[in-house]
Amino acid sequence: MGTQYVIVGGSAAGMAAAHTIRKKDSSGIITVLSNEKTAPYFRPMIPYIINGKKQVSDIGLSGKGMFTAKGIDVRTAAAVVSVDTAGKTVKTGSDENVPYDKILFATGSRPYMPETVNGLEAPGVFSLKTVADAVAMADRSRKTDHAVMLGGGILNLKAAFALLEKKIKVTLVVYSPEVLSQLMDPEDAFLVRKALDTAGLSILTGCSATDIITDTDGVCAVALDNGKELPCRMVCVGKGVIPNTDFLHGSDIKIDRGIIADTTTACSVKDTFAAGDVAVTYDSATGEKTVTALWTNAVEMGICAGLNMAGINTRYSGTLGIMNATQVANEPFVSMGIVHTKDKDVETHIKTSNNTYRKIVFNKKGTCLVGALFIGDITNAGMYRYVIREKKPIAGIKSHLINHTLHYGHFM
Amino acid sequence: MSNLKEIFVKTDKCTGCNTCKIACAVEHSRSKNLFAAIHETPRPVSRVYVEWLPGNTKVPVLCRHCEDAPCVNACISGAITRSELDTVMTDTDKCIGCWTCVMVCPYGVIGRDKTLAKAYRCDRCPDLEVPACVASCPTNALVYDTVDSFSKIRRKIASKELITREGV
Repeated sequence: MGTQYVIVGGSAAGMAAAHTIRKKDSSGIITVLSNEKTAPYFRPMIPYIINGKKQVSDIGLSGKGMFTAKGIDVRTAAAVVSVDTAGKTVKTGSDENVPYDKILFATGSRPYMPETVNGLEAPGVFSLKTVADAVAMADRSRKTDHAVMLGGGILNLKAAFALLEKKIKVTLVVYSPEVLSQLMDPEDAFLVRKALDTAGLSILTGCSATDIITDTDGVCAVALDNGKELPCRMVCVGKGVIPNTDFLHGSDIKIDRGIIADTTTACSVKDTFAAGDVAVTYDSATGEKTVTALWTNAVEMGICAGLNMAGINTRYSGTLGIMNATQVANEPFVSMGIVHTKDKDVETHIKTSNNTYRKIVFNKKGTCLVGALFIGDITNAGMYRYVIREKKPIAGIKSHLINHTLHYGHFM
Repeated sequence: MSNLKEIFVKTDKCTGCNTCKIACAVEHSRSKNLFAAIHETPRPVSRVYVEWLPGNTKVPVLCRHCEDAPCVNACISGAITRSELDTVMTDTDKCIGCWTCVMVCPYGVIGRDKTLAKAYRCDRCPDLEVPACVASCPTNALVYDTVDSFSKIRRKIASKELITREGV
């Protein structure tokens, strides 16, 4: 009998690992245990379920992109509740014991629900993480004419736009001085902010919610710390995520914020691996330990874990803690590496025009590209990522990096 | 190694005339005719780029259809897949214009259709015997061949040059 691979979690990292293993080991038995009821899907697509542009069946993973391998046993609604690393088995919520030779923990993360806000358990309060959340939000949106979003991150912005497209008034409540504070300094965000304002999103910065006020039909208003009250029938919390490690409590797997993974994605116990949002890995720009919550990172890390599990020793090249590309309100932007430069000892070059903003960040000595932020014009962003990640020598190309004239020929 | 044909670039033969860019744009227009194509909205664009390096070297750049393609792994909507012809394809219907592929492509060869908010790239002209850029190149700087055959020819040329130089 072939190797028994068990993968806990059926999203980006878990499925990338499963498909990678299958491509390298045709005889192994690959079992994916997912706590969700839905078959694996492209999670970043769930805002499109809210606005009805996509159906759940449109965003399935199987057969698309790198997810083309066959012979993977995916079990849905099969949450893992505990792991016995000595006996090499996992126990599911239905008390089934599943044995493994090698195991990957790819349990992802869950939304962080701030304790400073009272009443978040009320009907009509959501946080967008799963297809089930998106379906429930779509349902609730039918009896909503005003939605309040708590948090100004990218996922909340996407959810906000999905609701705006349904002709629902949306107010974004942001504690930071500006939206997208995780991806740029407030001073960098004016073009994005202008686009959001033009698109009709109401944004309140520098304040936060204190209470969810309810009536018989669930949430009916949000009280803010500035004394204001926003009547609404729907609230979406987007305040970041926390790694799902509860099922490992009491086990000998080392955890610090998330599951500690080494440079080959291996955990502290033999034959155990971790990848995706749940794993603590390292940032290739800062060299520091980091936990990210990005689809693209999770897939890359899952592939690396899959290779190592299949016996092909592969080093994980690290991630950029910040590595986002998206388009909100017709404004494309890319943020990579170190982009928060306020009070930081780095060499920063900013160039702006009416509709573009570019910030290029070098280390203190100016010898190494460590970050880049593009708003409006994101042409060739991938080459900048390549230079940051691979720590490419920049002596001959620095002016091209600064003036945005870099092209592939410069690497030849 | 794949036995399917690829597009190879000989930078020493490229004069930077941009004929390939026009041929590419026309092939990817609705009318497939130069004079009609320039009046189309959105105006057809090329998926080949001709860059310039000091020393007057011209470098045509286009999607390499990488074996381990970062864009395939990075795509958050499942729009990018490998075709039977071994090309990396963006399914326009599935593409949501998030530009993650643009962020991860180290060659900078994925373009953005700003009107439709869709990514586009070289598709090696699946309906043509020879891709439009290759067929149009007046100096044969672009070659459509298998890896085996192309490298064999290059080796032959290199050894001939060596022999000539050494005066044998």
